[in-house]
Amino acid sequence: MEIDRRAFIASIGGPAAVALMDHEAKAEALEHYMEDKLDEMVAAQQPEKFPTVAEIEAQIETRPFRRGTGSVFTGSRGQNVKLIEPMPDKPTIQDFFRLRFAPANHVLQSATRAMKTGMSEEIILACLLHDCVLSLIKPDHGWWGAQLFEPYIPEKSAFAIRYHQTLRFYPDQEAGYEYPDQYYRIFGHDYTPPKYIEDTYKMLKNHKWYMEPRLVTVNDLYAFDPNAKVSIDPFQDIIGRHFKQPKEGLGYDSSPSAHMWRTLARPDNPL
Amino acid sequence: MMRIASGVFVSLALAAAAAAQARKAQTVNGLQTTVTGVKLMEKAGLRDCPPGTNTVNAVQRPGDQLSVVTVAFKVLPDFKPRPPGTMKRPVATAADGTTYNTSVQFVDVGSVPEYSCDFVYRVPSGTVLKTLQIEDAKYDLSALDK
Repeated sequence: MEIDRRAFIASIGGPAAVALMDHEAKAEALEHYMEDKLDEMVAAQQPEKFPTVAEIEAQIETRPFRRGTGSVFTGSRGQNVKLIEPMPDKPTIQDFFRLRFAPANHVLQSATRAMKTGMSEEIILACLLHDCVLSLIKPDHGWWGAQLFEPYIPEKSAFAIRYHQTLRFYPDQEAGYEYPDQYYRIFGHDYTPPKYIEDTYKMLKNHKWYMEPRLVTVNDLYAFDPNAKVSIDPFQDIIGRHFKQPKEGLGYDSSPSAHMWRTLARPDNPL
Repeated sequence: MMRIASGVFVSLALAAAAAAQARKAQTVNGLQTTVTGVKLMEKAGLRDCPPGTNTVNAVQRPGDQLSVVTVAFKVLPDFKPRPPGTMKRPVATAADGTTYNTSVQFVDVGSVPEYSCDFVYRVPSGTVLKTLQIEDAKYDLSALDK
C-alpha cells in the first residue's frame, strides 16, 4: 500500500501535532491510518448494492416533503427554506438562471458538452434548458419542461426536452447512450418504466426527430462532474438567436406557460 | 524437460512480442496514441476523452460485460485542432466481426499535453475484443484482451 505522506500528516493534525508525538504514538497513528485506508480500498472494490423499488417506496414516509417537489419549494438537505431574491419586473431567461435555476451546473455542463462536440444550436439550447423545470416540479419533467419553454424556443428544442425523459430509460449504443448507475439508485435496480413511457419510446423509435432527444440524453450522461467550471456566457448568442424573450417579461406575456413562470418567480405565495 | 521449457519460453516470448506490437504507438490527427490495456470491469466510469471527473458509471448487467480499452494520448507539436465533434468515437471489433460503440466521446483533445482515456464497451459475456479503431488507425487488441 502506498502512503501519501502529506495526507497522513494532515490526518493526524499536521506537522505541529506530529512534532509532539513520540515514536510509539507515530507508529500507532500510521497503523490506524493504514487500516482505515485498507478499509476504504476494500469498500471501493465491493460491488455497490443498489436499492429495490420497494426499498425506495419504503422511504416515502420518512420525509416531510414529496420527492417530486420542485427545488424552489424545499430546503436543501432537510433545512428550512431561505428568503429568495425577488425577480425583476420584466424577468428574462438569464434572470431565471441567476435567481431561480442556480447553480444550474448540470444543465450548463450538458450544454457545454453539446457545444464542444459540435451539436446543433437547437440541441445546445435543449441541453441548456432540459432540467430547469426541476426547480418547479420533478415528475414528468420532460413534459413539464417542454410546456414551460415551448412558446419561446424552436420546435425541435421543445421536442428534445419533452422526450429526453423517456429516452433516458433506454440505452442506445450506436448513439453513445448507456443506462446510468444513478438510475439504479434513484428508481431501484428492478425498476421498469410505466406503460406510457414504453409507448412513448415506441413512438420515438420511428420518429424522424428521434436523435434530438437522444442527443440530450447523451450529453446528460456526461454532465455530472462536480469539478467542472461552467458559465452561461458561452450561450448568450444562442439564447439571443433562439429564445424569444417576451418584452413584458417571462410570466407577464399571456403565453400558455406564463403562470408557470409566475409560480417560479413567487414560490412563497400561499394561493 | 529442456524441450518443454524452451517451448514455454518461446510461447512467452511470442506473447510478449504480440503485446508489444499491440502497444505500438500510432499517430491520429497529431495525437500519439498507444493502447495500454484491456480489462473487464463490473462498473466503469463514463468520462470523456480527455477525462474529467464525471461521476456517472456504466454497470455490468447479467449476460453482458464491460470491456474497457485504455489508450494513452500525447499531443504532438504538429497537432492542429479540428472543428468540434469531427473526431469520431473509437469502434471495437470482436473476434466474430461484430462491432461495438462506446459512449465515450472526444472533447477538446488538444487541451492537455498527455492523458489516458478508458473507452467502455458493453459486450455479451465472454466476448474477446480483437481490434480497436480510432479514425484511420487500427490497433490489434488480441494480445491484450484475455
